[in-house]
Order: sequence, then C-alpha cells, then structure tokens
Amino acid sequence: MDTSRDLQFEAPSFTKRLKGMLGVDFYRLFHTPLFYIFLGIAAIIPAMLIAMTGMAGPNGEPATPLFTNVWQAIAANTPIYGFEGIEKYANMNMVFIFGGIMVSVFIGHDYKSGYVKQLFTTHAKKQDYMLSKSLTCAFAMACMCITYLFGAIIAGALTQTSFAVNVGNLLCAILGKMVMSLGWASLYTFLNVIFKRYFGISIASSFFFGTGILVIGIGSIVGNTPILNVFLYGASVYACLSSSLLNVVICLVVSVAWACAYNVLGTLLLENSDVY
Amino acid sequence: MNAIEIKNLTKNFGEKQALKGLEMTVPVGSIYGFIGENGSGKSTTEKIICGLIRPSGGAVKLFGKDYTDADVREKIGVLIEAPGCFPNYSVWNNLMLQAANLGIENAEEEVRKVLQTVRMEGAAGNKFKNCSLGMKQRIGIAMALLGKPALLVLDEPINGLDADGMRIMRETLTGLANQGCTVLVSSHILGELEKIATHYGIVRGGKMIKEMTAEELETSCRTYVALQTKDMARTKMLLGCKYSRVEEDERGYLRVYDNTKPETIVAFLYENGILVNEIKTDKIGLEEYYIDLMREKEGTVR
Repeated sequence: MDTSRDLQFEAPSFTKRLKGMLGVDFYRLFHTPLFYIFLGIAAIIPAMLIAMTGMAGPNGEPATPLFTNVWQAIAANTPIYGFEGIEKYANMNMVFIFGGIMVSVFIGHDYKSGYVKQLFTTHAKKQDYMLSKSLTCAFAMACMCITYLFGAIIAGALTQTSFAVNVGNLLCAILGKMVMSLGWASLYTFLNVIFKRYFGISIASSFFFGTGILVIGIGSIVGNTPILNVFLYGASVYACLSSSLLNVVICLVVSVAWACAYNVLGTLLLENSDVY
Repeated sequence: MNAIEIKNLTKNFGEKQALKGLEMTVPVGSIYGFIGENGSGKSTTEKIICGLIRPSGGAVKLFGKDYTDADVREKIGVLIEAPGCFPNYSVWNNLMLQAANLGIENAEEEVRKVLQTVRMEGAAGNKFKNCSLGMKQRIGIAMALLGKPALLVLDEPINGLDADGMRIMRETLTGLANQGCTVLVSSHILGELEKIATHYGIVRGGKMIKEMTAEELETSCRTYVALQTKDMARTKMLLGCKYSRVEEDERGYLRVYDNTKPETIVAFLYENGILVNEIKTDKIGLEEYYIDLMREKEGTVR
C-alpha cells in the first residue's frame, strides 16, 4: 500500500507496458486448451483433404484425389483470386478462417471474464491492447500454419502423393502465408473490438472475412489482376508455389500495412467508446 | 491535495442522462462512503474514475492530474462489480497475471503480501471458479491492492459477505486507510459503511446532494427519545397530539424526534395516567439520516 509519504508519479514506458501485456497473453495462449485444439484442427484439415480424396472407395472404386501433389494443399501453383474449384481454394489460407474463430474465442473470453475491465483500470493503453492481441494471435496463426504443413506432409506420405517441388518456391510460399498471419490477426482483433461481447457476431464476421469472399467476388468481376494483392486475402493467395522472395516481401508489406491500419482503427474505437 | 476532484460531471447513455453535473471531492487518506439508490449514478461515476467509460462532459482529476494519465492510473486499484479473473486459473495465477500487467518486478512477494492482507494465503491454489462469493470479493481487493495503490475504488465490496467476511473487509479497509491509502467505497449496507467511513457523499438522480465528514454526520444526526409503556397505542396517540414526529421503530419502541427531554415526556405521560417502563435518548444512524434526506428531497418528510 502506498503510505502517506509524498506520492511519486511515474508513467510506465511503452516497453514495460507491452512486455507485461504480452506476458499475460502468451501465458493465456499456452495455458488454454483452445490453442492446442486449433493447432490440431489445422493439422487435420490438409490430412483430410489429401487422405480422404486419395483413398479408394469402399467397393474398390478408384481414388479421385483432390491434389496430385502434396504441396498443392499448401498453396495453389499460381495466384488465383477468383474461385476456380475447391482444389485451388482449399490450401493453407484456410488456417486464416479457423484462426479467426480462435481469435474470437480468445478475445471474447477477455470480455466474458472481466479481464478487459481489470486491464483498462490500470495504466494499460488501448494501443497496447490492440498490439498485444494482434501479435499473440498472429503467433498462434503462424503456429497453425506449421501444424497445417505437418498434417499435409504426413497425409501425403501415407497416401504416397507426389512431393516433387522447387524447395525455394515452396519455402517462399509458406513464409508468405505465415507473415500474412499478422494482418489477419489484426483484422480479427479489430472485429472483436467492434462487437465486444457479441460473441456470435464476432465469430460470424471473422468467418466471413476469413473466407476471402469479398476478394473472390471482386476477382470474379475484374479478373485475375495483381491489384488484388493489396487485400489480405489477395496477398495470401499471392504466396503460391511459384513464389519468389519478392512475393514474401509483398506479403510482408501488405500484412504490416493492414496490421497498422487495423491497430489504429481499433485503438481509435476503444479510445472513443465505453470499454465495459 | 484531493485524491479525487470531480467538477460538473455528465454522462449520457443515449437519451438517458445518468450524471447531471455531479461534483465530488475525496480528500487524500479518507474512506469515502459513496451512497445512493440504485440507478443514482454511483457505478457510472466509479466507472468513469476507473477509465472504463467516458464522460460526456466535466472534469475528473485524480491527485491533481487528469484521470486518464498513465502515471496516475498506476496508483489506482479497482474492484468494480466482480473481480476480472479467469475462472479456470488459480487465485495465485490470476494475481500473478495482474502483477505482470502492472509490470511488478518482485511479483511473487507482492502477491504473497496482498493475499496476507486479505487473509487468503490458504486459498492461493484454489481455482477462482471454486471460491465462495466472499472469497472472490477478497481476491478482488487483493487484485486491487497489487502495485501499492494510493487510491482504491470499490463498488459494493461487502455485498453478499457473511458476518466474518464483513469484519475482515472492514479491518482490511481501515488498515489500508491507516497506511495512507484513500478508499472510495460504495455500498447499500449503510450500517457497515458507518463503521469505517470518514467522509460521505450522497448521490441522487445523477447529482451529489450532500457531502460531509463523519463528524458532520454525527452533528447532523438528530437525537430522539425512545420509550416503552404498557399501553403503547394510547401513548402513541397522546404523544402524537403533543409532538410533531412520533414513530414506532422495528424493536417496538416509540420514538419522539422533537427536541425534548425524557423527563418532560415522563411527566406528560404520568399526568395522563401512563407509566413509562423504559426511556432513553439516542441518535439516528447513517441509514436513518439517509432515508430522512431522501424523504426530504422527495418532499415527503412529515
């Protein structure tokens, strides 16, 4: 307790504030079953896509595999912004759909438990909250990308699907997808800040944006143009099996730019509305 | 310097005006009892002080600084409604997480200390969700005490506590105030508040209608004469004719609130053939003072 001595006021530094908040968020992430469940889901998705479609039918019908190559489950061969069949859509981008649900549950629990109330009565700033959640959730989604990769490899090995690939391009594609996690996590954090305790709407809106349906719609109208790379879904698609380092750089720039935008918007929203 | 200084505070929720120019002054080191009916604006004021909701107008200063300043916010401990804890984590872990948020360096020692203060050392390993209401309230206080706050804002901290829980809470808050911590505490349990508060603020309809010290309350509280006779009905009728305010209390005593002496009443009743069994003078407490004040504001005082 502060005794009756002269009060000393000292504003905590940004580093101190963020360090504390990140410590709490990462502790929570690693100590909640939710994170591990979603890591599991991320691993199961490619395994199911590869293994289920690669197996023979119950009466010996020949298999009709969705992918002829394991790495097609990671990314399309070339960037396709519109919808040209499930095999070109269903890849590592799906991590960002499920990641959105994970972020909604993670942040929704902040409000449900009253943690947000406890947090904002301290020196915590709104910008710290946005940044801490975005970084933690981006880390979680990047981890999901890795388990997705392992799921694809194991299923590919079991079904003896081709692994032929240019390793450099593949690494650039995976890296590109992983850096997009930051932008997606920031979007989902922002959506959850908008809807706060309306948990169902948060999940629905995260799912809606995560599917990339808006960019797919625009892609169907304007065609397969690289201009769509300015969007999160567009840049995520751009990280494909023909990627080079330039693709990774573009993904990084787009991801960071959107993360900054969503963090600023989220901070403004929190600053100008009642928190609890 | 005042711990809290509020000028012309307003808050609108859509069409509804929850605070209508509230003024409030809480001196450093005081235990300030914040009283008012449900919906009078107590919680709204507290939430504004704590930075949870934004005021529509007015100024809030804490220790002479704007209430949003990060350096002043570091000096505030809060328990609004229930503590914001994760139900599946232990009491210890919840406190350690709050300590991490506050950037406390020797967190373990600090958490141990606050648990001792609220006498919860034995329950540190319990999951928060398994704690009783009283324990949760004390955990909330412990959480508010982390970071050595100079100002504690507690919203209804004694609600739902048993007698022992209330005693522990009372001793904790008095102990904190003795160490120089300012405590703003709202409660509907006025009897308990009266035992610890050094200052009071009574709010009604979003406005502060009275601020006073415990000493001022003492002098403001009217004395009354309480008596019992064998024929209470006739006594009441007789006294009712002579004095302006005569009421029967819940213990079966007749109370005469007019400024009179017991011997005068005894003599008057004796003249009318009534013998007094018991008679004493007393003072109304905070609760009755508050009810009187509310009646007065409603224009229904008899």
